[in-house]
Amino acid sequence: MQQANLLRGQDLGQDRSQDLGAIDPQMAWSAWEPTPEEPWDAKRVRHLMRRGGFGAKASEVKQLLDAGPSKAIDVLMGKQSLQATEAFEQESGQIVSAVRSGGNIQSIAAWWLHRMLHSPSPLVEKMTLFWHGHFATGADKVNDTELMVEQNRMLREHALGDYRSLVQAVSKDPAMLLYLDSATNRKTHPNENYARELMELFCLGEGNYTEQDVQQLARCFTGWEIRRKSFRFNPYQHDSGFKKLFDNDKIESGEEAIEAVVTHGSMPTFIAGKLVRFFVFDEPDCPPEFLAPLADEFQKGQFAIEPLVRKILSSKLLLSDWSRGKKVRSPVEFIVESMRCLQMTTNLDRLAKGLDGVGQALFNPPNVKGWDGGRAWINSSTLIGRSNLVVDLLREPATRFARGSLDAWLKSEKVSNQSQWLEWLESSLVSIPLSPSDRELLQTSVANSDGGFDQWRRMLVALSQNPKFHLS
Amino acid sequence: MKRRSFGRQSLGLSAGLAIGSVQPGGWLQALAGQLQDHEENASDSERILVVIQLSGGNDGLNTVIPYGDENYAKARPKLAIPSSQLIKLNNLLGFHPSLKSLETSWSANRFSIVQGVGYAKPNRSHFESMDIWHTCHEKKDRTQSGWIGRWVSGESDSESPDSAAIHLGSEPLPLACQQRGVQIPSLASLEQMRLKSKLPQGPAESMDQAGSLLDFVSTSTQAALQVSERLEKILAKPDTSGDFPKTLLGEKLRAVSRLILAGVKTRVYYVTLDGFDTHANQPDIHASLLKQWSEALSAFLSRLEQSGHQDRVLVMTFSEFGRRVAENASQGTDHGAAAPLFLAGPRLTKLVQGLHPELDDLDDGDLRFGIDFRAVYAAVLDGWLQADSSKALEGDFRSAGSDLRLFT
Repeated sequence: MQQANLLRGQDLGQDRSQDLGAIDPQMAWSAWEPTPEEPWDAKRVRHLMRRGGFGAKASEVKQLLDAGPSKAIDVLMGKQSLQATEAFEQESGQIVSAVRSGGNIQSIAAWWLHRMLHSPSPLVEKMTLFWHGHFATGADKVNDTELMVEQNRMLREHALGDYRSLVQAVSKDPAMLLYLDSATNRKTHPNENYARELMELFCLGEGNYTEQDVQQLARCFTGWEIRRKSFRFNPYQHDSGFKKLFDNDKIESGEEAIEAVVTHGSMPTFIAGKLVRFFVFDEPDCPPEFLAPLADEFQKGQFAIEPLVRKILSSKLLLSDWSRGKKVRSPVEFIVESMRCLQMTTNLDRLAKGLDGVGQALFNPPNVKGWDGGRAWINSSTLIGRSNLVVDLLREPATRFARGSLDAWLKSEKVSNQSQWLEWLESSLVSIPLSPSDRELLQTSVANSDGGFDQWRRMLVALSQNPKFHLS
Repeated sequence: MKRRSFGRQSLGLSAGLAIGSVQPGGWLQALAGQLQDHEENASDSERILVVIQLSGGNDGLNTVIPYGDENYAKARPKLAIPSSQLIKLNNLLGFHPSLKSLETSWSANRFSIVQGVGYAKPNRSHFESMDIWHTCHEKKDRTQSGWIGRWVSGESDSESPDSAAIHLGSEPLPLACQQRGVQIPSLASLEQMRLKSKLPQGPAESMDQAGSLLDFVSTSTQAALQVSERLEKILAKPDTSGDFPKTLLGEKLRAVSRLILAGVKTRVYYVTLDGFDTHANQPDIHASLLKQWSEALSAFLSRLEQSGHQDRVLVMTFSEFGRRVAENASQGTDHGAAAPLFLAGPRLTKLVQGLHPELDDLDDGDLRFGIDFRAVYAAVLDGWLQADSSKALEGDFRSAGSDLRLFT
């Protein structure tokens, strides 16, 4: 059967360009299983770690190889490293308590980067980043780092939990209340900002509600305020009059309204679509027949997020070779993956600032819609910026490789010439194969310049200017 | 494998130079030689359009204010600007006081307000409405291409060393500037485009089918390296852009003026100013944004005048929608519909085009539009850029603005 072959990815070059229309949607989301032609190997493990985490350190590749595909998601969630998690949380807690109330958003972003680099539960951090882009909240407007830290913790707590509780928590989150002006929503003239975005961007998608619904929903949220940095319901500012949302006239409170929005028929498809785009492929828009099996699962599971994410990450579509190179790396993925693979440490405050310059300032998404992702990551400025970011990282005096020099690290990795180095980099960091002319170009450019760097670093800079390096 | 020369669309790429055809190490020199020739021959005659996008939904009603209509103060008990503070144009209309620095422009007949601009069945989502303004289409009949992107792909000046359009700003390339097969550079700033470590590598060839993700990143990389090279030469010349306000928009317009003064042959520049989504605490925020806009614009116009470029440049300022006529309880306003659009430059026929929408005949609380935004685009494309608007807009909108005559 042609479709089965396709998803077994026997011919990698052919399959990557295969049209979605040729793939059976049910089979696409069924669990991937190893075969003699498509084994559970380091290459596949690295691909999974790019999508379900932030790239793989050598030790993690081994851990996942040993765990096998059935336990891989548990590993990504840190379920197999409870001790390490405890130690890590202690370290991370110390970092954040030193910076949480200082008002400096870059330090907070540095704290989160530290989590992405070192957390034993990379999938939880990846999902926290997903929700940050989904329930986008900008620190510039909120103007309170402590509230941003609290929101980040809340998103992490619910990251793989229950969508219903997540939306209730977001709706009462002080940073969100400030960002979308709910905190000043009073009964006399309701403010529509949060009500509109809850339906348009957080749950349903544009076109699945009316202007009437926006106005009615805004009334449900009147009186939702902040007192001493916490949510408070003020009954004197709440409009308790008759309301009608989605033809339902039994809704009174904000909580009831959220329940109505979350259980609206278009929610599961909307969320499934965003997850597929985040984890599997940037384009085209995922066709409805591919979203239906996921939306069903989400609905049946009472909107539990973890089973949905597990299904996506263990699927044939994701783990076959088809999905390689189907996503543009975000700036955070681009840099954090590189650092994890090369076991780099650096000055994270400066790195956080650098990410701002290439289009992904953590805690300051461009607007309430979050980062558009896909092609929107790439333009003249961000491409030059990505290469310059690598240069800055290599020039930064605090940068280390496995706590030592690059030379010592290369020795420990048994890399002693340029072709070994390129091979090492390609297998760890590049998602789709380099062509002979790619390799020749990279080697020539490293041989013919100094650019202020030694040949090892020049190769990293050269790779950062190769288009394939920007795909995941 | 597909190689394409995308000369005219890529700033810094001469038409005769096919990408990938020059040996590694050789292409930069080849490029440099061509660029020099072009700079020496640069002619300064072509018209330029600068688009300023006010993101978030500018409150048009508090920008061009119908103070003479009693319904205005009634709808805005807290937010109405007292008529004593307005810059009055006539018995009905006055400008927000923050627009003061543009006074020299309208006194010199170089400023025009187009009243009540919008479209039928207004969408009150920022993103949807902005997409409608960018693509000129409703969602159901839309492709991922914008009106400027389509205009660029229809331009046939393959001799130009520069991209026909440039976006300046750190946000992603606006949909208005997108079109498959066209690379419009997006520059966070001119200085940011300096490559810190240059390698003598020719840009990698595109190895994938045209239009694929890899093909897109490959052609974008080629364009980026070439723009960077071209800008390095421009930045090496003395900066004659002059004094601009030290604001986000001021910096962007300073960069645009630097490129224009350096003889860059780009015809359309696109910049944005964000923050107009004033659901709460509107008065101070709105006043300061309007001030930023008017001061940056006025600095830009006067720099053009000092350098003799004033008759080549038209500036168009728009927002995705206006705001609800009635204020909310947060000293703010919610998403609305029709709003004024602004033009600054030569040959404008009159200060006020069209009628202010009626305040006592609202559409679900919002102002009704009188002029379709695509009619304004059509007038600018045909009358200013001397293009065929029906191609860029994918439709004939020349008559959608009834008797709209923007230019002499």
